[in-house]
Amino acid sequence: MAKNNYIIEVEDLNLWYGENHVLKDICMKVMRNKVTALMGPSGCGKSTLIRCFNRMNDIIVNCRVRGKVFFKGKDIYSPNTNVFVIRKKIGMVFQKPNPLPKSIYENVAYGPRIHGINDNEKLDKIVEKSLRAAALWDEVKDRLEDPAMALSGGQQQRLCIARALAVEPEVILMDEPCSSLDPIATAKIEDLINDLKNKYTVVIVTHNMQQAARVSDYTGFLYLGQLIEFGHTKQIFETPQEELTERYITGRFG
Amino acid sequence: MVEKFHEELKALKKEVLEMGDLAKDMLQKAVESLKNQDTELADWVLSKKREIMKMDDDIEQRTLMLLTLYQPMAKDMRTIACILKMITYLTRIGRYGKDIANVAKELSTEPHIAKLVSIPYMADIVCKMIESVLKAFKTEDLSLIQGFAERDDNLDALRYSIFRECLTYMMEDPKRITRCAHYMMIARYLERCGDHACKIAEKVHYMVTGERVEIK
Repeated sequence: MAKNNYIIEVEDLNLWYGENHVLKDICMKVMRNKVTALMGPSGCGKSTLIRCFNRMNDIIVNCRVRGKVFFKGKDIYSPNTNVFVIRKKIGMVFQKPNPLPKSIYENVAYGPRIHGINDNEKLDKIVEKSLRAAALWDEVKDRLEDPAMALSGGQQQRLCIARALAVEPEVILMDEPCSSLDPIATAKIEDLINDLKNKYTVVIVTHNMQQAARVSDYTGFLYLGQLIEFGHTKQIFETPQEELTERYITGRFG
Repeated sequence: MVEKFHEELKALKKEVLEMGDLAKDMLQKAVESLKNQDTELADWVLSKKREIMKMDDDIEQRTLMLLTLYQPMAKDMRTIACILKMITYLTRIGRYGKDIANVAKELSTEPHIAKLVSIPYMADIVCKMIESVLKAFKTEDLSLIQGFAERDDNLDALRYSIFRECLTYMMEDPKRITRCAHYMMIARYLERCGDHACKIAEKVHYMVTGERVEIK
């Protein structure tokens, strides 16, 4: 059942924004219950790549995709895929915390509600469970009705993670989740990522190599739309096989 | 910022090489002072003890500084790891030089037993190993450290032959025991220095290839 260990499999993925060929023949596999990091210089296609995993690129005009992305063995780009189910199963957290202009409680309850859960008792349970999983519960349990915007940046980001967890995803995509946070908030998110992999699979895009080295089990290095190297994080940072990777991670680039 | 890191690392490598030269000099001159009963030269070796310790501390501190400030990766990280281990081995070699110089002073008043051929020969092998491994560290040419295992075996064999030889002298005449015990200790020091050279070679190999090997 080796194949079953991979929750996402990417085969010959190509993507264009208009004439611009952004992703080139990407092949990679994401291991279940592990943290996979994608790194590379700005504009190399990291964010575009993870946005392919839950079809977030669909909403971009002129975007064309060729190749296959399998989620648990099913091609998510096949015409009979239900995009809403995919995005429920594969949640996302963005660079800048983007809470909804609602209360803390409503931010987390929003997802389950639109997926049809209206029982208040059930919602209470989901909200608590998600906030606990995002390591935010103790900080907000007495003020769940306060506006989410009143939280600090780091708390807002953990709220966004709680919001993603509330719909019970299997994979969480994180697009530079710490880049607008201070070191303490960053450390909390990193601890959280480590906890999350017991239940979820995490794919994280990061500019910070040390962060990739700290939190991930596997690391991929992208450059100009190509996946230059993919492997165990320890190996990538200790003994990269590709000259380009070596140059990038030792800062001898350009 | 990254450029500054690489400049600093380059400077550090240069200093490690200087430290290596000093360690080797201390060992080489100590054995020379023993052989020629040259107490002045032995004093020179002893005077370098503080210098090599200071170099060890200084390089270690700057290496740790680079680690914390830049959190280097890949080969940069391996170079830092190599330097950190290397300076310890080099300090040990220098200190064995100091130990031998002390003995040289003590044994300088009366002639040596036999011709003391094997000890300078051992020292010669060890110093050549140190030279090779320092050059390998500088040039990253691993062919320089090929054959280290054989050279080390050779040292072990020499140490044992000195041991046997000294036993014979001691049995012949108990008055020679002190002197011979010193010779045996020196042979042991030199053998250890060969081991340190092998350990440095392992670290240099790791620095260059990322692969850990055992040389013995």
